[in-house]
Amino acid sequence: MGLTPEKETPFIERLPGANYMLTRMDQVINLARSNSLWPLTFGTSCCAIEMMMATGASRHDIARFGAEVARPSPRQADLLIIAGTIVKRMAPRLRTLYEQMAEPRYVIATGACTISGGPFIYQSYTTVRGADEIIPVDVYVPGCPPRPEGLFYGILTLQRMIKQGETVRRPGIRSKPVMSALPPNITMNDIEAEMESLLRQEADIDVEKARKERDWPTGLNH
Amino acid sequence: MSDAITPPEVPASEPPKQDALVTQVIVLGLGAEPYARKADCPAVQVSATQLLPLMTRLRDDAGLAFDMLTAHTVVDRLDANIFELVYYLYSLNHRKRLLVSSSIPRENPVVSTLTPVWKIAEFQEREAYDLFGIQYDNHPDLRRVFLEDDWKGFPLRKDYKDDFMLTHVIEEES
Repeated sequence: MGLTPEKETPFIERLPGANYMLTRMDQVINLARSNSLWPLTFGTSCCAIEMMMATGASRHDIARFGAEVARPSPRQADLLIIAGTIVKRMAPRLRTLYEQMAEPRYVIATGACTISGGPFIYQSYTTVRGADEIIPVDVYVPGCPPRPEGLFYGILTLQRMIKQGETVRRPGIRSKPVMSALPPNITMNDIEAEMESLLRQEADIDVEKARKERDWPTGLNH
Repeated sequence: MSDAITPPEVPASEPPKQDALVTQVIVLGLGAEPYARKADCPAVQVSATQLLPLMTRLRDDAGLAFDMLTAHTVVDRLDANIFELVYYLYSLNHRKRLLVSSSIPRENPVVSTLTPVWKIAEFQEREAYDLFGIQYDNHPDLRRVFLEDDWKGFPLRKDYKDDFMLTHVIEEES
């Protein structure tokens, strides 16, 4: 089944000396829900480009978290990633799409514009100041646009919230919305330094060591 | 550093070169003049009353044949109290681009429509009406296109204000 009990310790308990595992239906359902979030193919503005190309394409690859099955119909989608500036004209349509989604439905707001209106908060005649003026939001992801790892961090936060969240006995009970920023002590310099060290690591080749690793066992060389 | 490079001498009073295309438009005798402001392509200006005859001629003249209205937009020049209408034309035959400008007063922004000349002008003029409130004479369907039908005012005018914009916050801070 592909479950690793060691990683899912709060949910799944292995019976000692047997091939059985004990858990509760709620937790299995939440586990399944959190690992197959189907996002709606919908973007209101430029963050959607980042969402599609940076996180959906290879290298970063949203499929690693089970959220790659983008559905063009809101009836089949679980997750609404609101990406980009929402204008007054689009707001009722966005609300309609949200209402068409089946329960349980989750909402991630990415980028400055969907959190607060962003750079258009003053002196704009048309920008809605934050997605939560229209629909309830579960996770806010800051950035302009958020980096792919920032959006992944938001998806992981949402998965954690789902696993701790509603149960069969108490449907519709959700956690409070959270702001999911990357940890504050990580700066661009850290990331660049790490990438540089990785590049150096790959560029420096220890010839002796590489040859030894390639060598056959004794007697077969030369 | 005795032999420093001296810049080549420029004749002091050389008249600015007029583009051949601009000359070609002006000799039509339909009120076109060289454009008074800076432009990034050959440009002429014309009075609002002469706009429709000039544009029709620009399209029908075999030597010009401007068969595309690439863009139409408006500049709100609040200090001069005018709306400057800007039309970008393109000729697929001659591969030439031309800017045509025309100014109308802000109080009474009426100009004749160019829909009979280029069909696409219908939508481009609807956009200019929507955001700047230019009244196009004889336009077949002058409605709002981007904003809601019950919108009050024209938001791209420089003096536009509404309660939603929070302009008073900026004014208090400054």
